[in-house]
Amino acid sequence: MKYLFLFSLFFLFTSCTQKANEKIEIVVNSWIGYTPFFYAQEKSYLKNLNIELITTVSLGESYDIFSVAKADMLTATQHEYNALKKDFPSLEPIILIDKSFGGDMILSNRTIKELQKSNSIDVYLEIDSINNEMIQEFTNKYHLDKDKINYINKDQSKIKDLPYSEESAIIIVTYSPYNIELLKTGYKELASTKNSDTIIVIDALFANHEFAKKHQKRLLQLKAVIDRSIQEIKTDPKAVYLLTKKYLNNISYTEYKKSLKMIQWINKLDLEKSTIK
Amino acid sequence: MRSLSIKYFILFAVIFLLLGTTLTLFQFYKNSEKNISKLLTNNIQTEILNMKHYLKTNLNKNNINELISHLDSISSSSKSIHNIHIFNEKKLSIYATERVSPILNKECTPISKITRKEVLEEECYSFNITLYNNLTPYFFTSEVYIDKQYLHQLLKQQTIILISYYALLVILFFLLLWIMLKKTIIVPLEELRQFAYYSNTTPKKFFINEIESIRHSLSMTFARLKKEQEELYKLSTKDTLSGLYNRMSLIDKIEWLIASSDRDPKKFAVIFFDLDNFKTINDSQGHVFGDKVLQNISNILLKSVRDHDIVSRVGGDEFVILLPSCEKETIVVNVLERIKEELAKPFHLDDHSYHLTASMGVSLYPRDGKDSQTLLKHADIAMYRSKELGKNTYHFFTESLNRTIEQKIAMQNLIETSLQNNYFELYFQPKTDVISGKIVACEALIRLIDPKKGLIPPDMFIPLAEESSLIIAIGEWVVLESSRVLQKWQHSDLQDIKMSINISAKHFNESNLISMLQEVCKKIDKSRLDIELTESVFVNNFEHTLETIKQVKALGLTLSLDDFGTGYSSLSYLKNIPFDTLKIDKIFIDDLESKKGKSFVNMIINIANSLELEVVAEGVEEEKQLSYLQKMGCNTYQGYLCSKPLPLAEFEALCKRVNNSN
Repeated sequence: MKYLFLFSLFFLFTSCTQKANEKIEIVVNSWIGYTPFFYAQEKSYLKNLNIELITTVSLGESYDIFSVAKADMLTATQHEYNALKKDFPSLEPIILIDKSFGGDMILSNRTIKELQKSNSIDVYLEIDSINNEMIQEFTNKYHLDKDKINYINKDQSKIKDLPYSEESAIIIVTYSPYNIELLKTGYKELASTKNSDTIIVIDALFANHEFAKKHQKRLLQLKAVIDRSIQEIKTDPKAVYLLTKKYLNNISYTEYKKSLKMIQWINKLDLEKSTIK
Repeated sequence: MRSLSIKYFILFAVIFLLLGTTLTLFQFYKNSEKNISKLLTNNIQTEILNMKHYLKTNLNKNNINELISHLDSISSSSKSIHNIHIFNEKKLSIYATERVSPILNKECTPISKITRKEVLEEECYSFNITLYNNLTPYFFTSEVYIDKQYLHQLLKQQTIILISYYALLVILFFLLLWIMLKKTIIVPLEELRQFAYYSNTTPKKFFINEIESIRHSLSMTFARLKKEQEELYKLSTKDTLSGLYNRMSLIDKIEWLIASSDRDPKKFAVIFFDLDNFKTINDSQGHVFGDKVLQNISNILLKSVRDHDIVSRVGGDEFVILLPSCEKETIVVNVLERIKEELAKPFHLDDHSYHLTASMGVSLYPRDGKDSQTLLKHADIAMYRSKELGKNTYHFFTESLNRTIEQKIAMQNLIETSLQNNYFELYFQPKTDVISGKIVACEALIRLIDPKKGLIPPDMFIPLAEESSLIIAIGEWVVLESSRVLQKWQHSDLQDIKMSINISAKHFNESNLISMLQEVCKKIDKSRLDIELTESVFVNNFEHTLETIKQVKALGLTLSLDDFGTGYSSLSYLKNIPFDTLKIDKIFIDDLESKKGKSFVNMIINIANSLELEVVAEGVEEEKQLSYLQKMGCNTYQGYLCSKPLPLAEFEALCKRVNNSN
């Protein structure tokens, strides 16, 4: 009889009790700087916090998913942040992740001088991303005639498969790891965030203020997880590579290590060595 | 676990079930609503995401006509969206699914603000499509309208599911209630019923207070009843003083032994054990001491018998020992000897040392009886024989002993019958004056006239009557009958005749004798009644007897000392007791021929004369004896010379004849 009562009480209360933690969904695109998220996902660090990643191929896709509120948070640059501010006035960066240190770049099949002399230039980019600012900075810097430029808006997943052609002048605005295939085909890097004096690209995790306040404790734990993942990336890059390469277009380990050099982590340990002051 | 009252239990159960049902249903409803909202939100988000992507990719061509069919297809294929509206930057409609009567100026919620909580209430959502002219952005706005009919259908389906679940829950909860009631009330009550009926296993503690109270009460009652039953059984089978088996148990044991012997022929012995003179111990030391003695005897008997022998106490100082498996009498004798041996050892009680003896009688199965009563009776007879043989011995039952006892019993029965049917009769033997030859007195002698056997002499029944209390009844009959005769004689020629009656020692010590004599004296001339006593009256408790004698004398009656010279013939009796008459026994009269005999009679007469006592010579049968007595100065004689004892009428006739002739 006692057990019957205990069972009934258990049944009654469990049926009325909601789960303690709601699932948090973060939309993350394929970018070397977001490796800590991919690694944390693979190591179940995120699962322990009931956080799940929605992976996308481009910043534009991440932007769209977040804009229809299909995700609670997103990883993006300051460009997407500014664009989303219109629909999400309380959007704010929660965790700063990295500074692009060559990770965003401009490739071409021509030299700058050849481009300046070209009658027509096709520019491939994700127009609603930081690519937009990158190309503006580039054209301004090298005084390219804007009337000769033909902008072609594509996802980086499609841009990366662009074949090399000598027929027309092509500029590709891309970022790691999508640059790798393009460099292999013969495109050359003309500019990047490494040697830019006028543009800084910061990647961060964004969320609405109310949401961040509500889940402050878990987000602090998430920050610890990200820091831990960065530390493990540094100490054992090979192991991290094996777990995360599928999120990074299956690049080689050499390319992976090279890509890592194109970013600078933004966390307490790395700040002292960072160019960010 | 604490018990609950039925009232509170039912109340608790109903509240619990109602609360459970309500909460579960509420939770179910909320979950369903949440799930629908989630599904709907996801659906709208996905639809819009796809549409946004499509429009971003295709709308820049600025050829909306090519998109119309695709947009129509989206709205018609989508379950949740039934209308799409697209505006340009100038708020001009460039597309509407409902082209005839488009919905206009609705305040749609931006898709970025979609929430699961409000998704069921919202009518439309809006979103922007950013397109670029080179690097310069321009915008379109799209509004999508939610299909309310689809939502209602969803909710209807959900309601049906909810009702189904409710019905299921009600059944489930009533099932639960039934199980609870069965577990806590029905089954416990059935267990209680079985417990009350069979009272074997006590049920475990119950949850419900009232049922638990009943269980506890029943349990206590049964425990008490069992204890009482055991005590009653003990009382019914055991003797409380000694702890030995009682008479009832003894008979059971004998019956069991007989039944066993019938199946497997075996002999067994019954020993009837009776303490010698236990009454004296009881009278002198009190019953408490007597009880201690009996307990001690019980221990001695238990110690003396074999392990499987059965010892019981059947009366005051009477014990019966059963000796199963006694194929030879020597086994019985061994046990009897051991008992005697143990009894012979002095035992100590209250700082005094005592020595006890017992008389024992033995009967053997099947030789001396085939049933318990016969075996016990025969062992008892054998025990009495031991008593007769001088006590402190044992005796086996025999047929001749049985016959003797049966005769005794027959005689005792005849005495009792005679008292009831008045078969007794007084005979009168005259006492004749030695000088005048006139009858001056008589001795009333009792006779038993059996209707079948005729006259039975007193020596056949008086000794037997003296062994029991029948002698008192006989004595009382004699007193009453003699007084009746004296009353009759009071106004006749025999009014001067004095009558002697014999009173036994037992009767004389009876407390109501004096009151009876007082009553008799009121009716007769008390000087006419004489009481004859033998010396045996004084043997025990002389002081008490002397007191009685004084009371008799105080009534005005005379006393005769019967059979003088045959007993102790203590002269101190004559000194201390106020006798009126001495009766010389017949043996002295018979010896009057000898010189020594004459001397004895002469001496007795001289003593009597010296003490101024009347003298009556008994058993005078010859003239010579009368002559001697006349010479010696004897007053009166009694004997066949004058007459044998005669019935009343003949005696009266004799008196008239003799006294008138002289």
